[in-house]
Amino acid sequence: MLPLMVASPLLTAFLIVLLDVLHAGKRAVQALFIAGAILPIPVAWLSGGGSEIVGGWPREAGIEVALTEVNTPFIVGELVLFTFVSIYSLQYFSFRDKKTPKVLALLLLVHTGLLGAFIARDFFNFYIYMEIASVSAFALVALSKESSAKRAAFKYLMLSLLASYMFIFSLGLIYMETGYLNAELASRTAVPSRELGAAIAIATASLLLKAGIFPLHSWLPDAHSRAPTPVSALLSGAVVKAPAYGMVLLFSSLPVGETLRTVLMGTAVASVFFGIGMALLQRDAKRLLAYHTVSQMGYVLLGIASLNFVGAAYYAMAHSIFKGGLFLAVGSISTKSRELGEFGYKNESVIAVSVLMLSLAIGGVSPFVGAYAKGLVSSGLSDGWKLAVLLGTIGTLISFTKLNYYLMRGQSPSLLPAWKLSSFGLALAAFLAGLLLGTGINLKDALNIAIAVISFAILKRTGLLEKRVRLSSGDVGKEINVLVAVFVAAVVLLLSLQ
Amino acid sequence: MKMSTVVRTTTKMVSPFLVTYAAYLMLYGHMSPGGGFQGGVILAVAVILLITSHGYAKVRRKFHFNWASLIESSAGVLLVLLGLTGVAFGAFYANFLPTEGGIILPFNVIVGLEVGAAFTFVFYILLRWVESD
Repeated sequence: MLPLMVASPLLTAFLIVLLDVLHAGKRAVQALFIAGAILPIPVAWLSGGGSEIVGGWPREAGIEVALTEVNTPFIVGELVLFTFVSIYSLQYFSFRDKKTPKVLALLLLVHTGLLGAFIARDFFNFYIYMEIASVSAFALVALSKESSAKRAAFKYLMLSLLASYMFIFSLGLIYMETGYLNAELASRTAVPSRELGAAIAIATASLLLKAGIFPLHSWLPDAHSRAPTPVSALLSGAVVKAPAYGMVLLFSSLPVGETLRTVLMGTAVASVFFGIGMALLQRDAKRLLAYHTVSQMGYVLLGIASLNFVGAAYYAMAHSIFKGGLFLAVGSISTKSRELGEFGYKNESVIAVSVLMLSLAIGGVSPFVGAYAKGLVSSGLSDGWKLAVLLGTIGTLISFTKLNYYLMRGQSPSLLPAWKLSSFGLALAAFLAGLLLGTGINLKDALNIAIAVISFAILKRTGLLEKRVRLSSGDVGKEINVLVAVFVAAVVLLLSLQ
Repeated sequence: MKMSTVVRTTTKMVSPFLVTYAAYLMLYGHMSPGGGFQGGVILAVAVILLITSHGYAKVRRKFHFNWASLIESSAGVLLVLLGLTGVAFGAFYANFLPTEGGIILPFNVIVGLEVGAAFTFVFYILLRWVESD
């Protein structure tokens, strides 16, 4: 039953393209789109977990898919996010544009790719589905009407494909060394050797790039902020989680050196603080959220590098829900201008409530899902790292105080009901998930919020937040060259550590 | 863009053979070297050869843009349906045909059509930018 979870959105995606060629009506396409978005949920429910080999082949020859303790949170986060994104997209992409059915088909392909990657227990199958998701994502970013979107998509395409080629090369090495591509079978025959070490280092570096971790993040803020709003939500919420799951697969089955893991934890903390620092300096609302993705992916990496896979998985789920919701909510009020201070939620109470709830969730305030996930990630860490998590939480809260400070004062044009519904739905999901997972109310969070508000007031006084940071130069080719050089340096560094 | 008579005559003669070869690769892919993807690519090459020698406008009258699109998307649907039929026999993509090679034969044919149509489709779209004859 499990492969059907992936097959249903794939079938509807092809059917939408077929209907588009036959000039079918708008209603049929919309119905199919919703069906493709929703169908995996009952299928996942009915299949009831466990592992399965596609086509009934023996395990050595076939492709294993499974619902385990580790990948279920990833899948739940993706399904919740995509359901609301699909409701949002129906009113976002108007059928006056001839491309709309193709956009909907591409969204379903992203859905297919992510689900396929998350249920994979096999390195190669994981790679294929991650690529389906990212190739569709390149096209979706490029479809945005904004002038700089094509550049952002090009940068994303070049870097992401380079990382993919390095990743498939390292999969070849893993296959050569262990004789299997199945994660569990490979773990049985894996013995530490130079070749396997090199393969792990290259694979880790390329997945770090695809997950947008500092210092390999630079494609991310452009691509995630220039894309159409529902696509931004999907990219930040779910597409960057696929490489994170790849790292879980890799680290759970192959021998990863102690030094490499410590360095990765350091990178994760650097990513957390770099993301927050850059977010504080942004004046573009969606770019601010995109930098927070860099920061939040740091927590996921912290969980993975400390071999706390369940914590990382729950953090990924929590991040899917709240970051997706934030992008939808902020994106829908910033249709005219994205400059902070020029728009806001003063006249839209539903959006105001959602943004506030989601800001608390991303700041790890109980009883939202963020608090549960943060507790789970930091439970496996020693004291020094726990302090970093706490400081990161306060930094995130400062940045979201800034966002809400500006949003509180501006007005926005009237919104479509589906936009409000999906933003509020995700805010509610963040709250309910927190309650279901049993997050109690922690009074220390009030202290965190107080510190954050005071720090924000001080920072505002000093005038540091008014500065504008522009890092991009004119030439996209040069930018790509620099980023590739950084990537090569990262590969070499990890190779020498492993 | 139109090439000399020699080139046009040669491509006209070669193209049918390429289509035959593509069909052979698809139909015997499960027993000999070959398969759907290779067959599909050669199928597309047959059309692309004609386009480069005779020009886009002339070929488009015979092989419509929409046909390529139609074949491509319906082959995609068929591919998933083939897997779904397997569910009735026990598992997704279960081998339910008792013939030699089982479902690999229909699978190869569908993949061939998908790849051939998709490559033609991509070439048509790229040519829109290059020439407008």
